[in-house]
Amino acid sequence: MNHQSHTPILEVSGLHVYYGNFHAVNDVSFTVNAGEIFGFLGPNGAGKTSTLSAVEGLLKPRSGNISVAGFDIHKQPLHARANMGVQLQATSFQPELTISEIIGLYAGIYGAAINHEQILSILRDIKLEDAAGKRFGQLSGGQQQRVSLVIATIHDPHLVLLDEPTTGLDPQSRRQLWERMEAIREKGHGVLLTTHSMEEAEAVCDRIAIIDHGRVVAIDTPEALVDHYRHDPEVISVSRKGKITLEDVFIGLTGRAIRS
Amino acid sequence: MRNNIPATSTVLNALLRADFTTQWRNRRSVVLVFLVPLIILMSWKGLVDKLGGAFVLSICITIGLTAIGLMGYTNSIARDRDKGIFQRLRVAPLSTWTIMVSRLTVQIVMILALIIAVFIVGFYVDKISLTPAGYVFGFTMGLVGSAVYLGLGQMIAGLIKNPETVSATTRLVYFAFIMIGMFGELGMLGTEVQAIVRWSPFGSVKRIVSDSLQPAHWTIQSTQALLATIGYAFVFSLLGIKWFRWNTK
Ligand SMILES: Nc1ncnc2c1ncn2[C@@H]1O[C@H](COP(=O)(O)OP(=O)(O)OP(=O)(O)O)[C@@H](O)[C@H]1O
Ligand SMILES: [Mg+2]
Repeated sequence: MNHQSHTPILEVSGLHVYYGNFHAVNDVSFTVNAGEIFGFLGPNGAGKTSTLSAVEGLLKPRSGNISVAGFDIHKQPLHARANMGVQLQATSFQPELTISEIIGLYAGIYGAAINHEQILSILRDIKLEDAAGKRFGQLSGGQQQRVSLVIATIHDPHLVLLDEPTTGLDPQSRRQLWERMEAIREKGHGVLLTTHSMEEAEAVCDRIAIIDHGRVVAIDTPEALVDHYRHDPEVISVSRKGKITLEDVFIGLTGRAIRS
Repeated sequence: MRNNIPATSTVLNALLRADFTTQWRNRRSVVLVFLVPLIILMSWKGLVDKLGGAFVLSICITIGLTAIGLMGYTNSIARDRDKGIFQRLRVAPLSTWTIMVSRLTVQIVMILALIIAVFIVGFYVDKISLTPAGYVFGFTMGLVGSAVYLGLGQMIAGLIKNPETVSATTRLVYFAFIMIGMFGELGMLGTEVQAIVRWSPFGSVKRIVSDSLQPAHWTIQSTQALLATIGYAFVFSLLGIKWFRWNTK
C-alpha cells in the first residue's frame, strides 16, 4: 500500500477498561498509521466498542496510553478529538432537527464553517438531496449510516473511527461505503473500523486486529494471518472447504462458542 | 496539517441554534408549561383584591418556574442522555459545559418569556400594575428563584437514569409543590404545614418573588427567604452536577 506512511495517527498501548469488576479490555495495544484502514474484528462482547469508547474519551480507562495525531487523549482531549471523526455504533441525533440542521450543528461544533448551499451539495454527494428537510428517524438504516459518516468526516479528520458502519447495509451501499473509506485512505488519513464481516476485512482493511475477551489475539495483514495460521490445528479443524479462509482463522482463534 | 480546536463561541453558537430550534419544534409542550400559570392567573381575577396583586403574580410565576425547571429542562436532558444524543456531542472537540450552558440558556429565555407573559396577562386581565422598580426587581428574583428548580431538576436527572422514571418523578414533584405550596401557603393545611411551606423551596421562591414585586415591602424576612433560596439553589446544583452522569449505562 503505497499511500501508507507509517506515521502513527492513533497509538493505543497497554489499555485496560473495567466496568465495575468486569475486565472488558485487557492490555490492548495497537497502532493505526496514516493512510491505513485498520480493522477491528472480534465476537460480540469482545471489547471493540469499549476500546473505541476509550479512544473517543467517552469512558475513562483504568490504565493505558492513547494518543491521536500525537495528542494524548487525557492531557489534550480537545486537540485529540478535533483530529478524529466518529461514527458510534448506536448514533442518535436530535429527533426535532432536520438533516440539514444536524449537519449544520456538527459543522459548527467541529469548526467547519459551511453554508446552506454547501450542506445541500454534501447531501447531493451522498444521494440524499431530498432528505434535507427530513428528520433522522425518517431515513432508512442505510441512509442514516450515510448521514452519520458524512458528519464523522465533516472536518476532514486525520483519524476516522467507524463502529460497525456496514451492518445492515445493502451490497450497493456497502460498496459505496468501502469506496468512501478508500478515499479517506487516499488522502493519507487513517480509518479504524470494527466489523463482523470477514469479506469486508479482506476487501478493505490493510491490517486487522482480532480481539477476544478483551485481549488482542493477533494483528497483521489479512493475507499474512491466513498464511501464518494455515497449519494451526484449531484453524484446520474449523475450515469447511479445505481452503483456509480468514473466517477459519477468526473462528479458530476465538472458538466456536456463541457469546452471551 | 492538524485540525484546530474550534472557538468556544463557534461551538456555543451552533449548540444554541440547535437547542432553540428544538425548543421551537416542541412548542406544543412549551405552551402547556405556560398554560397552567396563566389559567390560574386569569381564574383568580376575582381574588386579586383579597390576596393582593403581588401574591397572585408571585404564585403564578413560581408555578411557571417549577414547570420549566422540573419538566422542560429535566425531561429533555434525561431523554437526550438516554438516546445517546449527548454521547455523540461529547466525542466532538467541545468542553461538556458548553452543552449544558446552551441548554440552560434556552431555559432562561423561557423563564424570561414566562415572567413577561404573567406580567402582561396580570396587567390586562387582572388589572395588576406594579411600579417599574417592582417589575425589574421581580424579574431578577424570578431568575434567582429559577436556579432552585433548574438545580432540583439537575439533581433528579442525576439520581435517576431512566427517562420515563425521571418524567414521572418531575411531574409528581411539580404537583406536590403546587398543591402543598398553594394550599399550605394560604393556611388551609394548618399552621405547621404553613411554616414548613414558607421555608420550603416553593415557599422561599414565592416569597422573594412576591416581595420583590413590591420593593417597599421587602423586609428582613424577605432577605432570609432570599438566603434560603440561594442555599437551595447552591445545594441542589452542586449535588445535581456531582451526581450527573453523561451516559445511562
Ligand atoms: N456500560 C457497561 N457496563 C457494564 N458492562 C459493559 C458496558 N458496556 C459494555 N459492557 C460489557 O463489556 C464487554 C465488551 O463490550 P463491547 O461493547 O466493548 O463489545 P463489542 O466488542 O463492541 O461487541 P459487539 O460486537 O456486540 O458490538 C461486554 O461483555 C459487555 O457486556
Ligand atoms: Mg460494539
